[in-house]
Amino acid sequence: MRVAAVFVAGVLLALGGVYLGAWWAPFIVGLAIGVAEPRSRFALPIGAIAGLASWGAMLGAAHLRYGLGLAASSLAAIMGFGNQRLIPVVLTLVVGLLLGLTGAWLGSAGRNLMAERQPAISR
Amino acid sequence: MTVDPAVEARIRKEQAEAPRGPAFITRRNRWPRPSGRSVNAALALLASAAVLYAAFFGAGPLPALGPAFNPVTGAWTMAGAAQVHNETLHLAGLQQPVQVSLESDGTAHIVAQTDHDLFLATGYVHARFRLFQMDLLRRQGEGRLSEVVGKAAIDRDRFELQLGLLRTAQLEWSQIAADDPSRLAALAYSQGVNDRITEAESTHQLDAMFTLLGYQPQPWTPIDSLIVKGDMTQTLNFTDTPLVIAQLDKSLGADLASEWFPVLPPNSQSPYDPGPYAPAATAPIEAMRQVTDAEAAAAADLYSRLTALPAGLVATGGASNNWAVAGFKSASGGALLAGDPHLHMTLPAIWFQLTMDSPGYHASGVSIPGTPIILIGHNQHIAWSLTDAQNQQTFFYEEKEDKAHPNQYYWNGAWQTYKTVGYDIPVLGGPTEHLTVKVSVHGPVITERGQTTSVWWAGNLPSQDLGVLLRIGQASGWQGFRDALRDWHSPTHNFVYADDKGNIGLISAGYFPLVTKGQPWLPMPGTGEYDVTGTIPFDQIPQVYNPPSGIIWSANQRQVTSDYPYYIGSASNFFDPGYRANEIHLVLSEDAANGGKLSAADMMGLQADTRDFLASEIVPVLLQALAGQTLTATESAARDLLQGWDYRMDTNSAAASVWSSFWQSYLSGTFDPWWKSRAVKIDRTEVNDALGQDLETWTLSDTRNRAFSSPGTGQRTAVDVMRSAFSTTVTGLTRRLGSDASTWTWGRVHTRVLENLAQISGLNYGPRAAPGDANTPLAAAGNPSTSGPSWRMVVDWGARSFNAIYPGGQSENPASAWYANRVNAWWNGLYAPMLTAEQASSANGAVRWGLQP
Repeated sequence: MRVAAVFVAGVLLALGGVYLGAWWAPFIVGLAIGVAEPRSRFALPIGAIAGLASWGAMLGAAHLRYGLGLAASSLAAIMGFGNQRLIPVVLTLVVGLLLGLTGAWLGSAGRNLMAERQPAISR
Repeated sequence: MTVDPAVEARIRKEQAEAPRGPAFITRRNRWPRPSGRSVNAALALLASAAVLYAAFFGAGPLPALGPAFNPVTGAWTMAGAAQVHNETLHLAGLQQPVQVSLESDGTAHIVAQTDHDLFLATGYVHARFRLFQMDLLRRQGEGRLSEVVGKAAIDRDRFELQLGLLRTAQLEWSQIAADDPSRLAALAYSQGVNDRITEAESTHQLDAMFTLLGYQPQPWTPIDSLIVKGDMTQTLNFTDTPLVIAQLDKSLGADLASEWFPVLPPNSQSPYDPGPYAPAATAPIEAMRQVTDAEAAAAADLYSRLTALPAGLVATGGASNNWAVAGFKSASGGALLAGDPHLHMTLPAIWFQLTMDSPGYHASGVSIPGTPIILIGHNQHIAWSLTDAQNQQTFFYEEKEDKAHPNQYYWNGAWQTYKTVGYDIPVLGGPTEHLTVKVSVHGPVITERGQTTSVWWAGNLPSQDLGVLLRIGQASGWQGFRDALRDWHSPTHNFVYADDKGNIGLISAGYFPLVTKGQPWLPMPGTGEYDVTGTIPFDQIPQVYNPPSGIIWSANQRQVTSDYPYYIGSASNFFDPGYRANEIHLVLSEDAANGGKLSAADMMGLQADTRDFLASEIVPVLLQALAGQTLTATESAARDLLQGWDYRMDTNSAAASVWSSFWQSYLSGTFDPWWKSRAVKIDRTEVNDALGQDLETWTLSDTRNRAFSSPGTGQRTAVDVMRSAFSTTVTGLTRRLGSDASTWTWGRVHTRVLENLAQISGLNYGPRAAPGDANTPLAAAGNPSTSGPSWRMVVDWGARSFNAIYPGGQSENPASAWYANRVNAWWNGLYAPMLTAEQASSANGAVRWGLQP
C-alpha cells in the first residue's frame, strides 16, 4: 500500500512539476521518493518511472496536439543524425528517466547512510 | 594508582601490535573501512552530479539537456510554435487595432490605421517567423557570434569589428533627425520585435535554436536594423579585388596583367546606358604599374586572411537580373517589369514577403527580416526591383609609417595619429577578448603585418537607405522615385522602374567614388594624393528613362560604354562578364522587333531562360576547329551532341555537360601553363570571369594571341588549344560518366542546394539536379550551386497583374509547413499572385490575427 502511494504521488508530482515548466522536477521528486521509501528495490524503479512518465506524458501530449514528426526530424537533423527522428525522442525519454532514477537513488542511498550512522551517533 | 594487570597486559599487547610511526597516519585510525552503504551513497552522488551537470550545462557537443529537450519549454515547442491559427493578440505600443492576414502559403498582409502601427506590426510579424535569423544577422554584423558559438567565430567577429558595420550603424542612427519618418519607423519596428520577444519568452515559443544554443535574444534596437542593412551592403560591395590584382600584377608582370585584366571589358557587352555622356571633371586614370615586392607581400597576407573568412563576408561577383518593357512594346499596353535578384539561397530565405498598408504607406513585395521596409516590390502606381551595380566601392591604402613616429601615419604632408576604438568580444567557453581597431583617415586598418593597410569602403559611409525606401514606397512616378534615390549611397544598385502610365527607367543609384590619381584597382599609397575625392554627380551616374527602344535591362554588367568619362571599376571581377545581360538584351530585342509585343508570360520565360550566350558564340568555333579532325567514336558522339544543341543548360541535355567541361578545359589549357611558369599564387578559378572574357575575345577575333603560346607549350593557336581541350573533356567525362555520351546529361553533373542558414546540413534542400549555369539568366553558378534567383517578380501594369515567388518559406521553423513550402513551385518556374490585403483576407485558408493595443 505504501509503495503504491509513493508511486502515485511521485508520478503526479513529477508530472505537475514538468507541466509547470520545472523540467528538473523528476529529480526532486525522485529524491523524495528515495527518502520516503526505504527499500531501494522499490524506490529506484518508482523514481525512474516518475521521470519517464512525466517527460513522456508531456511529449505524448504535445504529439497528440501538434504532431511531433517534423519537430523530431528537425531535431535529429540539428543533432547531426540525419532523418533518424527516433533519436531525439529516445534522448528526451532517457533524460527524464535518468533525472527520476538518479534522484531516487541519491535519496535512497542518503537515507540508508543516515540510518547506518544513526546508532553510532546515539552510542 | 594501581592498574588492573589484565588491562595493563591488553594495553601492552596493543602497543606491540601497533604499526611503527605516528598513530595519526595509521590506516585503520584514519579511514574506517567504508561500508556498502557509503559506497552506494558515493556512487549515487556521482551519478546524480553527472546527470544534473549534463542536464543543466550540457556535455561535449550536447547542449544543456534539461532546458533543451524537455517537452514543455524545450526545443520540442517548435511543433507548437509552427501552428498558426486565428487569434487576437495584445501588443504593447500599438495605437489602434491592426489586422494581419496570412495567406495559405504564409504571405503576410498587414493593415494598420497609423504608420507607426504598421511598422510596429511589421516588427512583430518578422520576429514571429524569423527571430533567430534576425539575431544571427545582427550578431554577424556586430561581431558577437563568438558569444553564442564560441571561439570558432572569433576571426569573423574580429574582422567585422575592424571593418566597422557597428560604428557605421551607430553613426547613421545618430544622424537621423528626431522627426525623420525612417527614425520613427525603425523605433516602432523595434518595439514590435521586442513585443514578440517578450511574448515568445513567456509562452516558451522562442525558436528552438535559441534553446539549443542556450541563450535568450537581447532586446532589438534600431541600430540592429541598420546592422542588418550593413550585412547586405558588405555581402554585395566589400571586395578584395585590388589585393588579387596586386598579386597577379606581381607574378604575371604589368604587361600581361594589364592585358588580361583590363579596366574596360575586352568582349562585346550590352550596356544599358549608351550615352551620350557629359564630360568628366577628373583626370583620366593611369595605366597598370609594376607592384613592388612589399606591396605584393602585404596584399597576399591580407588576401589570405580574407579568403579564410566564411563565405558571404566578401563580395565575390554578382548575379541578378532586372528589366522593363515600355507600355508601347507590351501586349497589355501597360509597362512590364521583371526582377530576380540572385543571392545566396538559404533556408530560411533572406526574404520575407508581405503587404504593408497604412494611411501613408502602401507597398507589396519582399523585405529583409530585421528591417522595417519593403526592398523590392510595388505600390499602387510604380514597381521596382534591383541588381547590384558592381562598381568599385572598396579601395585599399598602404599607410606610410616610421618607427620614429609610433602609432602615426603620414598623410597630406604631416604625421597623423591613428584613432583607436576598443571592443570586448565575449567568447562562449573562454575569456573575453579585447580588440583595438586603428582607424586612419581612409578607414579602418585591416592588417599591420608587413605593410599596414587600411580600407576605404563606401559601406562605411552613412547611407540613409531606410528613408530612401520609405520614399520609394510612397512615390507615384519617376520623379519621386529618382529623387528618393539621390540619398541612396551604398550598396550601389541598378534600380529598375515601371509605372502604371507605361513609363520605364533604370538608374544605378549610389556612390561612384572618384579617385583622381593612381591605379584604384590596386592598393594605393595612403599619403593623400590618391584619396577618394568625391563621387560622380548624381545626374551623371548611369541612368535611362523611357529609351526609344522601349526596353531596359541590367544583369550586373558594366552599365556604360567605353565613352563614359569616369573610372567606375575594372572588368576584372568588379563587373559581370555580360553574358546574362547579352542574352536578356537579345531576347527582349528579338521579341520586340518588327512590332512584336511582349507579355508577362514572356518575362517569366526569360527569368527561367537557360540559354548560355557564351556557348552560342564559342561552340560554332569549336565545331569548325574539329572539322576534318580524326576523332574517336566517343569524341564523335560528343561533337554530334554539340552540333544539334540549342545552347540551353537543361538538366536533360548531354551537350550542356560537354560544353561546360570543354570551357573549363579550354581555360585550363590556355592559362594554367602561365600560372605554373610564373608561379601565380592566386587560384586561377578565382579570376575565371576575367580570363573568360579574354578567351572569348581571342577565340572570336585573335586566335594567335600570345596567351595561347605559353612557356613550355611551344607555338599554339586557339584552334590547337580548343582541340586539345575537347579531347581532355571527352576523356574526363568518359571516366566520370561512362562511354555513352548521350547519357552525360547536365543533371548528372550539376546540382543546386538551398543551405540552412545555421549551416545544419540536415535541414538543407537538395542537392537536386538543376538547370542553368553562371552565364544563363536562370543563374546557377558553381556545383552544387548555392546561389541564384532568390526572388522572382513579374509586374504587368496593363493587366494590373503582380506575380512573384521565392525559394523557401516564410518561417524559419523547420517544423513549420512554411519552412520550404515554396521551393518546388519555384523550381518548376511557377509564380503566385501578389494579392492585395483585401483579397488575402477573404482568400481560402487565410489566417487572421487581430492585433490590439
